[in-house]
Amino acid sequence: MNIIKIWYDELQTVFHDVGIILFVVILPLAYPIIYAYVYTPEVQRDVPVVAVDDSKSSLSRDFLRKVDATPDVKVVQCCTNMTEAYSLLERQDAYAIIHIDKDFAKAFTQGKQTTVGLYCNMMSMVYYKCAASACSNVSIDMNRKIKVENYLRPTTEREAEIMAAPIDYVHTSLYNPQGGYAAFMIPPILMMIFQQSLFLGIGMSMGRSRERNGGFVIPMSHFYKNSIEIVLGKMLFYLMLYIVHGLYAFIVITKLFGLPQLGHYWDFILFLIPYVSACCFLGMVLSYLIFRREDCMLIFVFMSLPLYFMCGLSWPGSAIPDGIRYFSYLFPSTFGLNAYMRITGMGASISDVSFEMKGIAIQTVVYFALACLIYMKKIRQVLKREA
Amino acid sequence: MKEVFLRIWRIGLREIEIFSHRPMYLFVIIIAPLFCLIYFTQIMRSGIPTKMPCGVVDEDNTSTTRSIVRILGAMQNTDIVAHYGSFSEARKAMQKGDIYAFFYIPRNTTDRALASRRPEISFYTADTYYAAGSLLMKDLQTTSELAGLAITRASLTAKGVSPSLMMGILQPITIETHPLNNPTLNYSVYLNNIVVPGLFFLIIMLFTAYTIGYEWKMGTQKELFEMAGESSTIALAGKLWPQTLLYCLIMILIDVYFYKFLDFPLNVSLIRIICAGLLCVFASQALAVFFFGIFLTLRMGMSACSLFGVLQISVSGFTFPLTAMKPVFQYLAWISPLRHYYMLYVNQALNGFKLVYAWPSIVALLVICLLPLTVLSRIAHAFKYVDYKP
Repeated sequence: MNIIKIWYDELQTVFHDVGIILFVVILPLAYPIIYAYVYTPEVQRDVPVVAVDDSKSSLSRDFLRKVDATPDVKVVQCCTNMTEAYSLLERQDAYAIIHIDKDFAKAFTQGKQTTVGLYCNMMSMVYYKCAASACSNVSIDMNRKIKVENYLRPTTEREAEIMAAPIDYVHTSLYNPQGGYAAFMIPPILMMIFQQSLFLGIGMSMGRSRERNGGFVIPMSHFYKNSIEIVLGKMLFYLMLYIVHGLYAFIVITKLFGLPQLGHYWDFILFLIPYVSACCFLGMVLSYLIFRREDCMLIFVFMSLPLYFMCGLSWPGSAIPDGIRYFSYLFPSTFGLNAYMRITGMGASISDVSFEMKGIAIQTVVYFALACLIYMKKIRQVLKREA
Repeated sequence: MKEVFLRIWRIGLREIEIFSHRPMYLFVIIIAPLFCLIYFTQIMRSGIPTKMPCGVVDEDNTSTTRSIVRILGAMQNTDIVAHYGSFSEARKAMQKGDIYAFFYIPRNTTDRALASRRPEISFYTADTYYAAGSLLMKDLQTTSELAGLAITRASLTAKGVSPSLMMGILQPITIETHPLNNPTLNYSVYLNNIVVPGLFFLIIMLFTAYTIGYEWKMGTQKELFEMAGESSTIALAGKLWPQTLLYCLIMILIDVYFYKFLDFPLNVSLIRIICAGLLCVFASQALAVFFFGIFLTLRMGMSACSLFGVLQISVSGFTFPLTAMKPVFQYLAWISPLRHYYMLYVNQALNGFKLVYAWPSIVALLVICLLPLTVLSRIAHAFKYVDYKP
């Protein structure tokens, strides 16, 4: 019974405080939309590049035409020399220079290998990747054609095909077929928002009670005498709220922005409940350190990016130093981001993410115990004061 | 004039007094940015992720296919961690997160290749892991291309083509890539130069709004306003100078650590990039004052700062390019100190271009620094009449 009373109290507290509503209701609803909107163009197309064609041969023009025809790159200008081309790089009118040497066609007729220079402004890996893959794909394609037409001399069309590529290959990009940014950024961001908004919301609500109750995090009421009930009652409120947010993220955001959606609802719910609980309990433990309600913003907001990098999605987990990896196991986000990404984006089942689920389960138990201990201490303080 | 400086000085001393009672302040201003600096440079200390887990499904299992797999295993980015018996096993491993990619060689590949029946091999990358997927893709594509070329080479040798002519036939056109000023594709250089200042600017914005709003929370805003002789300019200047000094020191420390200690590419003098950093520090503070001036409450001021500060890390466009984003973000980027820092860093430190090409960013930063002027009277009004609302 007490649990329900505490649950109701928490609901009352939160919905009478615009500050907390902002974090636990508006933020998880609005932020995913903003981020999805930032990243949904998914890919960069037509990166402007400049060409310097010293060869001026039909072969070099053919090469440039083909590069221009790729979706990733657009040849915006042909310059007469490198200095001129470089000034375009300086002005950021182009991000790469394709330089074709004057011996390009000559070497080719002599049967020698010839090179095309690609000079890239390294301000963004995306520009580099676009320019480099466009050039290398065109060169592979032209090489095949040259090889067959000039040297191997097939007799039938089928033979020409076989000679061009005796072993054919296909690349299949699984789970993110367009190679887009949103499909890889948004799912982890959603779960990160959940954890951070819970930390902020719980921190603020703790700070609020501290400010209201003269430095104590629990009100002087006979309902608040059992730490397990307090922790569970509060958690129950956030859990119910975040299941709604979870379904919103899983269904609305994913559908609205056309993100990969391979997971099953049941797997998702099975993951979400322990994840939100672990975040709640850790939030309670961390907010032990918070004395004023606004302080939690100072501490929790900047943490999101280091936590995001720790989880091994954008920076591959295999390249993360061991020390940081073990440290990352302290936070639910490490497991949560990976598990959610794999459930929703890659269609993994709960058993496929068993490692992550075990991690979350251990965290839930440990942080629950810690939160109970903290509240026990607080209850003792209140009792002492009452006495 | 002397009196003005005296007031600013006294308010500053009062601020330092407040600081000394709150260890959390020092944690936020000093420890947090330095933690980010060490943390991010440590996590990416290898520069580029190499030897990422990759699987192989070799249903053919002949000496030819094994040698293809060995070639793949020798590649820089690839670490073959497992051989799977079937496609679905490999896919399952991918869903479990054991591997980022796998190479699939179907049965009879060698037979078909030798009989000129053009077998097809394939590779699969999990592109939900963007960096890992695309780095592995490069290796897998090279290996697949080489597999075909090996057969062409064998048939050319049989026809009596000399090895010296071979490369001109197999690969007439090669691409020589020159990643300017970051030849090793060092991700630490690429990301940390923006991520660390980005988080630092976020902390600056939050903390500036916090310290100003804190006066209202403690109910000391009227006392401060009196000390400032009823001038919001003096009140803010006095309040902000001690932390500004700290910010400047930390910004210099970040730059020295990057360019002198870690030897990140620096093609201008250190002073220039430090100046760019400091200008962005001031712009971040100004933006925080501006946001506070619009909302006039601690909570909303800080919320606006955190929203903007976090968002500008994406909108600055150093990962996903701003040029591909929707126009609304391209306009928003104009008031983002981080975006301009990124432009100045690319223009100056990374590439050593002429400064004249970066003038729009400098002008924009100076304009951002002037933004608080528009809200000074609002803040003055708030000092007199507005009370703290939780």
